[in-house]
Amino acid sequence: MEKISRRRFLGMSTTMAAGTLFTGTFAPTATSFFGLGGVAEAATKKISPFTFAVLTDTHLYDIADHRFDGFLAKAVADVNAMNPLPDFVLYAGDIGQSGKESELKKGKSILDKLKMKYTVIPGEHDYYLDMGKAWRGFFGDDHWSFDHKGVHFIGMNSILVPDFWTMAGLTPQERMGRMEELECHKCGLWGVGSQQLEWLAKDVKNITPDTPVVVLTHSPLWDYYPRWNFQTSDAPEIRAILRKFDKVIAIHGHVHQVVYNKIGNISSAGLMSTSWPWPYPPVQLPYPTLKMGRVDPGNFEDGMGGHALALSQEFDGLLNYREFAHVLPENVRRGLKL
Amino acid sequence: MKLIKYSLIAGVAATAVLAGVAQAKDPRTAAQVDDEWNYLMAAVEKGDGLWHNGKLGSNGLACGNCHPDGSASNPHTWPKYQSNLGKVGTLRDMINWCITVPMQGKPLALDSAEMVSMEAYATYMHQGVKIDLAKDEQYGGVPVKSGPGYPDRGGY
Repeated sequence: MEKISRRRFLGMSTTMAAGTLFTGTFAPTATSFFGLGGVAEAATKKISPFTFAVLTDTHLYDIADHRFDGFLAKAVADVNAMNPLPDFVLYAGDIGQSGKESELKKGKSILDKLKMKYTVIPGEHDYYLDMGKAWRGFFGDDHWSFDHKGVHFIGMNSILVPDFWTMAGLTPQERMGRMEELECHKCGLWGVGSQQLEWLAKDVKNITPDTPVVVLTHSPLWDYYPRWNFQTSDAPEIRAILRKFDKVIAIHGHVHQVVYNKIGNISSAGLMSTSWPWPYPPVQLPYPTLKMGRVDPGNFEDGMGGHALALSQEFDGLLNYREFAHVLPENVRRGLKL
Repeated sequence: MKLIKYSLIAGVAATAVLAGVAQAKDPRTAAQVDDEWNYLMAAVEKGDGLWHNGKLGSNGLACGNCHPDGSASNPHTWPKYQSNLGKVGTLRDMINWCITVPMQGKPLALDSAEMVSMEAYATYMHQGVKIDLAKDEQYGGVPVKSGPGYPDRGGY
């Protein structure tokens, strides 16, 4: 009998591990067993394959030559160097840090260097100084939808918190200051709110269930770690509205890290930032192998980068994290299957 | 070496005698315990404020940008060898490294009230977390829910 060499044994182990990972990726989560989960995926309509890029969480400051300016410029240059070029770019919120018009203006001037069209949704850092006024001036509606090569794209503003500032008599600067803290104790949980829920229901009303759908929000559409607003309070309502579709791909910013979940017909992935990475919160990840590795505080580029999301004819998504420095484990570097 | 050993034995004996004396004293009252807790919480709150204060650096960044709830500061694992420091250092050394390098600010005096309060904040946020130097990721402190279990800050 042939002796199994160490090298061959390791090779087999890797293959087996990949198989296990694949199964794990599509296993129903504990959450999905409650209400929406456990449903087999049906086939979506065939689409013309294409790739789009995603950038997020730049957190620009109103300080000249700040190093974060360079990180956004680097991510933009990376997108412009992709071959073939992505069809367009989505931006998932937090262009600025303190909601200042100057920060948003600087961000727009760098994003305008993209060779292709880009579409933006707001994050809390863009919003709470003037309740989105400057942001809307630069980027337009905070929720939108469009169709591209057979895919229906939806973007929503998921960072709307109940009013905590009027009763407390806070100035706009104080309100923004509170929201700038990830762990703001009295800011409350955010969501898209009833108006956008109504809009979403109308938007998808006449769209057939076999239409592929991509949803972009700043925060995840599942309860990850509410303490850091790694959640969207009306995500259950959003998931219910989107439940009729055979398959939905949801991507979100805010978490500054690689994270994956699947609830019912929705595959969800978190994005890296171009400002700083966040540690994983002290909760169990639904898919513990799909995360980034330890970052070196001495390397300002660790755990950051842009993204390319390729969609196949069958609407299989492959999300590639285009990391600035190397912190991704091999299974994530190959791309997340969405 | 022998001298150190005997000194230690003498020290232990002296401590035992002192402990015997100390036992004669009444336990702290509930009010005293409350006072001591409140002193600690005041330091934690002061540290929390500094941790989220962008003025410690010169480029707008605060410790809290990268370390919400003191996460990934791992205060319970120090002193340890840290490659950024190039030596076995303390949490206070690392806080100063963060203030001076990524935040581009001026270091705090290691024994200043500000530094002690920041250490108090980070440590408080990691009560009961196990020491695991080999863990290959940066992780948060104890799970926290807003409100109960966390000191409320004035005006919030």
